[in-house]
Amino acid sequence: MSAATIWRCWAALMLLLAATTASAFVPLGSFNIVVSLAIAIIKALIVLLVFMELRASKGLVRAFAAAGFFWLLIMIVLTGADYWHRTDARAPIDRFES
Amino acid sequence: MNAPHQPSYLSATVGIRSWLLTTDHKRIALLYFAGITFFFFIGGIAATLIRLELITPGPTLGSPDFYNRLFTMHGIIMVWFFLIPSIPTTMGNFILPMMIGARDLAFPRLNLASWYLYMAGGLITLAALVLGGLDTGWTFYEPYSTFYATGYLILGVFGIFVSGFSSILTGLNFIVTVHKLRAPGMTWYRLPVFVWSTYATSLILVLATPVLAMTLLMLLAERVLHVGIFSPQLGGDPILFQHMFWFYSHPAVYIMILPSMGVISEVVPVFARKPLFGYTFVVWCSIAIAAIGFLVWGHHMFVAGQALYASLAFSFLSYLVAVPSAIKVFNWVATLHEGWIRFDAPMLYAFGFIGLFTIGGLTGLFLAALAVDVHVTDTYFVVAHFHYIMVGGAVMGFFAGLHYWWPKMTGRLYPDYWARFAAILAFFGFNLTFFPQFILGYLGMPRRYQSYPPEFQVWHVLSSAGASILAAGYALPLFYFAWSILRGPRAPANPWGATGLEWSTRSPPPPENFVETPTVVRAPYQYVQGEPRMQAGDV
Amino acid sequence: MSERAIGFQYATIAQQREASTLGMWAFLATEVLFFGALIAAYLNYRIWFGEEFIAAASLTKVALGTANTAVLLTSSACMAMAVTTFDAGSKRAPIMWLAATAALGLLFVAIKATEWWLEYQEQLVPALNFDLARHGGVAEIFFIFYFCATGLHALHLLIGIGIVTWLAVGIGRGRIEPAGSTTRLVGLYWHFVDIVWIFLFPLIYLAGRTT
Repeated sequence: MSAATIWRCWAALMLLLAATTASAFVPLGSFNIVVSLAIAIIKALIVLLVFMELRASKGLVRAFAAAGFFWLLIMIVLTGADYWHRTDARAPIDRFES
Repeated sequence: MNAPHQPSYLSATVGIRSWLLTTDHKRIALLYFAGITFFFFIGGIAATLIRLELITPGPTLGSPDFYNRLFTMHGIIMVWFFLIPSIPTTMGNFILPMMIGARDLAFPRLNLASWYLYMAGGLITLAALVLGGLDTGWTFYEPYSTFYATGYLILGVFGIFVSGFSSILTGLNFIVTVHKLRAPGMTWYRLPVFVWSTYATSLILVLATPVLAMTLLMLLAERVLHVGIFSPQLGGDPILFQHMFWFYSHPAVYIMILPSMGVISEVVPVFARKPLFGYTFVVWCSIAIAAIGFLVWGHHMFVAGQALYASLAFSFLSYLVAVPSAIKVFNWVATLHEGWIRFDAPMLYAFGFIGLFTIGGLTGLFLAALAVDVHVTDTYFVVAHFHYIMVGGAVMGFFAGLHYWWPKMTGRLYPDYWARFAAILAFFGFNLTFFPQFILGYLGMPRRYQSYPPEFQVWHVLSSAGASILAAGYALPLFYFAWSILRGPRAPANPWGATGLEWSTRSPPPPENFVETPTVVRAPYQYVQGEPRMQAGDV
Repeated sequence: MSERAIGFQYATIAQQREASTLGMWAFLATEVLFFGALIAAYLNYRIWFGEEFIAAASLTKVALGTANTAVLLTSSACMAMAVTTFDAGSKRAPIMWLAATAALGLLFVAIKATEWWLEYQEQLVPALNFDLARHGGVAEIFFIFYFCATGLHALHLLIGIGIVTWLAVGIGRGRIEPAGSTTRLVGLYWHFVDIVWIFLFPLIYLAGRTT
């Protein structure tokens, strides 16, 4: 991790920050959050791979780094499964409610 | 053998500071033993009072509010201050480093900090319970717990929050230890299954407990600040609390059972004098249980109001998680097949585990079926199901491990006869206590109810009678273990003739575990039928 | 975290260093799930409440938030410079970079405190003075998330500033081994706090800006 690499990454992060803030003001509907999260993921990857040196780390370290995010994804996806489909269908037993 | 001039870890240093400031994993294990034994008996007293209360259909000991506080106390203490720490912090701390040929854990001072966090959390919650307790059940469902419940919720929940950090740090310690401190030649596939099980448990400790921490913080924010995150008054969703709570609490039950499964995988080969059948399957099933266990939490919420499609997904995944557990049961039974079985106390507990865990696990499948769950959810069927696994499974596994490793940890033997008697007593008492509860639940008796229709009384009386026998079965070890420490015969290095690095060093071990770092050359459980004793030095 | 001695359970200092690194990453994984749980709850409510929840985000101060993000990203670069210059054998350079890191951290906290003060002025603080009639219950839930998330993040940042200061002092007094991992481990923690903010920023500040 040389000084030049660090400052190049810093410049990239600043550009991405400008891009994400600017994109928030562009009406993209439900695509806005997709864009802003995608940019956030890229920024996080820069910090993880370069500043936190995952680029140069062994597989085991990378597995540890990935594990938290992967498990979080499980939580988001499966709870989301509830919230996306809350009013889609009612269970038959609901028919017995007055 | 025991050279008198070489001190063991017990006698190497003296004085209370050498215990309270120790970083020796073996001494920390004993500190934890003291803690969990204390909390086990507190939770047991609550259970006794519950069973006394339920002998009559109406109020027996006190008001319904008193009963609510009793079962809440029983649940909180048993889950967080007994079951979750039980095997990992005691036998995990003591035996795991020895099993891998290490001198201590990766972070010994962190280990001591974990104990202090556990005790602090436990005493804080105990204070809440002594001051008057809470009546929310151990699940603290919102908005009742935050807006309507009386009692010491903030104090009680804060204690659990603090002890959660103990869990996280212990799990972290074990994971790094297993990765980094294995002795030369100790490859992953030469590790005893207890190490794999503890590793899988540690994965859950590290990945699930932080979610509980956040959930409890949000709960406290609601209670303290009177803001509605999960409360319908502000349009919040009570089910979101349940999602967050169970995302931790379902994997938590695997924290409670996986270590016991690891113990059984150690005990059965020794006392059947056969290598463990299907080692590779058993170890990967441990990992699978830990992983799939994160995907099933919604089965606690089938009738709570979550989306039907989510319920379908969780039901299917719950069936899936039963598969690795079943594979393990088949492997234990296959290990027993054509073995030379000795019915020592650890083996009796292991037998109890295999049978009772199977029943508990199968009834879990009934509950995983949506159509059945609608009828038996929140009834005694669920109560019986989880007690079969937690008590018939996890606690029996704890006692199996305790009786198996007792000579190693204390350097003393205990009386066979009384130990076996206690195991059989506990087995009968357990079944008499909890089998009637399946029937009660099927007949419609709801859980957490103090009063019930008179036609249920006969089953409750049977259950309470069983509880008294079970209590005797649990109290008995206190006596013969105390006798063992005071007057028991000294134990040799390997009283059971078992394989494993922990048996190659003295009983009790020296402070640094091994005189020289061992080198491992063979797979575990290399028992040969017809050879009752391993030679000293065989590992 | 002094590395003058190898722990007796380790065979080599490299083994000890690798163990510490794994330990720190395991700890960071727990923090991902800790903050992640809050973010998951936020996302679920965003799906559940839809437009009202997103609209509440427009009440946050995007200029200050963007500035703060720039501050924190720069502090990460400074932290990375501290690690690199320390590796290269210098003592003064890492101390100055660590001081810059801590100073930027404090600047972040100051800007955050300003935001909170402004939100207090605008009656947006739940439990204190949230104007329910004007903004509605959904907005209040949004702001509960806002204060929980930014509050917990600020707490982690303050702890980080303390640790960075401790490290700078330690390097100055020669107590930190150049070949050791302490500086890196502190860096890992600091960068992680930055990553948390990288994700909180769009969720809190960038929603609801197009109406």
